[in-house]
Amino acid sequence: MKNQANPWLTGNLYVLVLGMLPAIVLIGALLYFTAWAFAFSFTDLALVGRKSVEWSWVGLENFERLFTRRGFLESLWTTVIFVFFSAIVGQSVLGFLLAATLRGTQSTIRSVVEVCIMLGWLLPDIVAAFLWSATTSQTGLINQLIVVPLGFPPINFINSYALPVVTIANIWKGTAWSYLLFSAALDSVSREVVEAAKVDGATPFQRIWLVQLPIIRPHIATNMLFITIWTFTYFPLIFAMTGGGPGRQTETLAVFLYNQSFSRGNLGFGSAISVAMLLIVGVLSLFYLRLLREPK
Amino acid sequence: MMDNQPSRLTAIALAFMAVIWVSPFSWLILNAFNPLSTGQLEIPRAFGFDNFGLAVSGNAGRQFFNSIIIAAGTATLSVVVGISAAYPLSRLRIPGRNAFLWTLVLLRMLPSAGVLVPLYFAAQRSGLLNQLGVIIALTILNLPFTLLLLKNFFDTVPIELEEAAYVEGASLFQIVTRIVLPMSRAGIAVVWFFSFTGAWNEFLLPLIFARVQDAFPMSVGLYAAFGQQGAINYGFLTAFSILYAAPAIGVYFLLRRNMNTGFAGVGVKG
Repeated sequence: MKNQANPWLTGNLYVLVLGMLPAIVLIGALLYFTAWAFAFSFTDLALVGRKSVEWSWVGLENFERLFTRRGFLESLWTTVIFVFFSAIVGQSVLGFLLAATLRGTQSTIRSVVEVCIMLGWLLPDIVAAFLWSATTSQTGLINQLIVVPLGFPPINFINSYALPVVTIANIWKGTAWSYLLFSAALDSVSREVVEAAKVDGATPFQRIWLVQLPIIRPHIATNMLFITIWTFTYFPLIFAMTGGGPGRQTETLAVFLYNQSFSRGNLGFGSAISVAMLLIVGVLSLFYLRLLREPK
Repeated sequence: MMDNQPSRLTAIALAFMAVIWVSPFSWLILNAFNPLSTGQLEIPRAFGFDNFGLAVSGNAGRQFFNSIIIAAGTATLSVVVGISAAYPLSRLRIPGRNAFLWTLVLLRMLPSAGVLVPLYFAAQRSGLLNQLGVIIALTILNLPFTLLLLKNFFDTVPIELEEAAYVEGASLFQIVTRIVLPMSRAGIAVVWFFSFTGAWNEFLLPLIFARVQDAFPMSVGLYAAFGQQGAINYGFLTAFSILYAAPAIGVYFLLRRNMNTGFAGVGVKG
């Protein structure tokens, strides 16, 4: 393991550095823009009008507004509910159950179910939103096949139960990722360990709960990390389905951020929201990373 | 291996789930192939491809091309920039490179809406509120992930091969193009298609960058069309949705095996 002993590399350092240059510029831009977003959060910059040119520093005013005005805390709560039920309960648990169940079944069933789940995941966000709006509308699939035949008047789900509808749509869309990850994770659990537990008289439930789950704990933490952050900042599906409404029922932080920044034009306040989201996501990530590292 | 008794029950439960999972598609397909579509869930009384004809002509056709330009442009630019930086990153012992890459990836997992405001301003100043601007912006946003994946793929190419080639008198360019790139072909394909589908599906950035209807990609076009109240042509919209979804889905099944290894690598290498 001698370092830098590769003459075709050391002899061409200039070329290599030159090759890295475009990436360095673009990464620099990314860091610069991120820093800029931070800076904006202390200003009253607006999208249009006088304040888009003559903005001024306002200190922590935007951050005070997060807590004193209505909107942010409500959105945070909506986001927490959305993340908890769609990502942690829905996608993760369902994905794991599917991965665990499908391991024992024939390969044809397995591929059919896999393809069905993948279709949701592969579908562009906007198409998924369109599809689910139609499915849950007054004349949609759920009403025509379930509600009306049972003798109830049709329900306009997307208006009356907006948050549950977007939550289910997101479960439908995102379960495949968790499934794939857990599937790969369960493949890494050695067959002998599971067989040994079986010989020792462990029930299927015990085999999963006491043997497989502890082994794949790092994968669970990785999965949680990814899907929590994604769902926390997920925008297109909800925005296209409800735009945050009715009222503010489905206005998650990402939608709130968009509405404040680009509909109302409060770029300064919008940046403060994104900084707050960044902090929340950062804390969550640290929590999951600890879960990931901790050897037990 | 597994106990056989519950397998029929599980099979039924799984089949049930699969049916539920694909059931929303029924509406999409029934309407798309029905020239007289009304947006209702019903057995079509007519069958035809008229809707698809509408969905590839005129404005819709232009949006298709816009999407292609954005997606292919982003994917190609990401891969080219990514390769030329990931190879040195993989081979030179730059201190802290892994920590740096992971920091960047974490940074990118933050809400992209946050970086959007500065991106918008920068694009506005430099006159890049157009396709090229979207491509560059998406490349910037993609790059951390692209770099990390490509570096991981390059790491798996044994350095002994490169040494042997060097001894035989190959130049750096030859080593990279004849050995490193062919050997990480699958990985590069995965990264290209990841970026392609990502950019193809992208909605928020083009929504803000595309100021005129001529510049809309399919995602924004579809959103704009079904957001309008009033006379909505459901037949057209459903056919358009299917055409829009097809490349993203098709690419996955084309590259299924590669993709799965790619996912596993991303998820577990943490």
